[in-house]
Amino acid sequence: MVGAAVSGLLILAIVLGSRLLRNFDSALLPYAVAGVFLAFGVAYRYTVWISAPGAARLFKQGWRSLFSAENFRQAPTALPKMIATYLGFQKFLGARSHARWAAHQLIFWGCVLAALITFPLTWGWFTFTSGSGSGPGYEMRIWGFKILGFDSLSFIGWVMFHGLDLAAVLVIPGASYFLWRRMKDRGASTGQRFGYDLIPLIALIVISVTGLLLTFSSIFLHGGGYEFLAVLHMVAVVFTLIYIPFGKFFHIVQRPAAVGMQLFKYTARQDDEVFACRRCGQPIDTEPYVENLRGTMRDLRLDFDEWAEYCPRCKRVLRGSAYLTHVKKGFK
Amino acid sequence: MMGRTIFIDPGRCIGCQACVSACRECDSHRGKSMIHLDYTDEGQSVASLPTVCMHCEDPVAPCAEVCPADAILVTADGVVQQADTTRCIGCANCVNACPFGVPKIDLGAKLQMKCNLCYDRTAYGLAPMCATVCPTGALFYGTVEELQAERPGVQVADTFVFGSTEVRTGVAMVVPADKVQWPVPGGLPVVEINGKDVRR
Repeated sequence: MVGAAVSGLLILAIVLGSRLLRNFDSALLPYAVAGVFLAFGVAYRYTVWISAPGAARLFKQGWRSLFSAENFRQAPTALPKMIATYLGFQKFLGARSHARWAAHQLIFWGCVLAALITFPLTWGWFTFTSGSGSGPGYEMRIWGFKILGFDSLSFIGWVMFHGLDLAAVLVIPGASYFLWRRMKDRGASTGQRFGYDLIPLIALIVISVTGLLLTFSSIFLHGGGYEFLAVLHMVAVVFTLIYIPFGKFFHIVQRPAAVGMQLFKYTARQDDEVFACRRCGQPIDTEPYVENLRGTMRDLRLDFDEWAEYCPRCKRVLRGSAYLTHVKKGFK
Repeated sequence: MMGRTIFIDPGRCIGCQACVSACRECDSHRGKSMIHLDYTDEGQSVASLPTVCMHCEDPVAPCAEVCPADAILVTADGVVQQADTTRCIGCANCVNACPFGVPKIDLGAKLQMKCNLCYDRTAYGLAPMCATVCPTGALFYGTVEELQAERPGVQVADTFVFGSTEVRTGVAMVVPADKVQWPVPGGLPVVEINGKDVRR
């Protein structure tokens, strides 16, 4: 239902955004159709995901924290800061490894750039028009409205027309590093699955390389092999877009949940609502977070939610003590 | 009937930390140990307890159930894997929900890590690192039959009681033969520790 509604809305946006299909490029139809499938898949998968007890409660609490008066009063900069450091610059990846952070940044910004160009272009939202018909003066329009004018022979013009090439240049080294790591690093290769871990990297590299080859063909080969490359590129992009909701790429959609979670904890910490272990007094988490988890556990019929009030070490020690007392008394 | 798994016998544990060191060599979390070795009655006795992931079967992996990001995968052979690095958001739900106190969290890296039964080894029929190096057999890897052939008269229990809830696990504990019918106490409800009332 939600998937169909979102796809319907997207189709409506495509029709209206392309000025009743006047700006729609029919050669890009497969990309636009894949975009609609992507919207359906993401909406469907997202709905299923946030319906599960753990995600559902966190989803609500994240939004509640965002719109709470406390958040606006005490931490108005917290959300933009978290979005920038966590979602944009992925600081947490640096704590895992600097090389992984650098490679992921290349992939991330490359994909962001590619998405910002590809989606509006294939939906007919972007148009590049020239008053003279042959340039070099061009106008970039969004939904028919002029955004900027530029000279196609200038540096800006070169960047405008090679945006996807630049994205490919960013993505290729990043994805190659991860592919190399998956082959060489024993930690990464443990338990990895071909379809889940390797296919996404291969897909990114195929899309980027075939995209660059299209430019290579038009500049150096006078268009030789262009049609074949265009079909290959299109197939790679279409399959990747359709794969996004069902594989590793879904983490792109899931990641923002971390910001909701952090905001929820951050807001509680501002009010010093820290929950201490009932046995040793060490802080476990924020009080609302422990209560939220207990609620999740009750939803799932995990009836030992009281146990969430003890830190991991105390749980182990208490279990050890119970074993010594009731099962094997040999030590006493 | 359980297949090859780890059997924990705290009665044999001498607290030597060999398992802790060996665990650092597991390929899935190289350099970091995921096994816990606790001295449960410190100052009173030399008792110690090694804790690996118990790979809960019923309810299936509470850590995975409470995970808001679907990051914890349970393999077809019942091994509860550590969090998928791309999905884990570092919320610590798994850490606080696990009744055995197993998962660890790196808040800086926003990543949960835990014992995954040395999947890189056990998937190929090899014993996990901890069981390989344990000098006293407190951590034994094999089948119940293999354990009993080596240690006649022992029994194992794979069910733990937390308050009114029973949790059946893929990893089992050694119990005296006359107490085999007992589920192993999980430590809840907690009333008194070393003579001190811990209730609020």
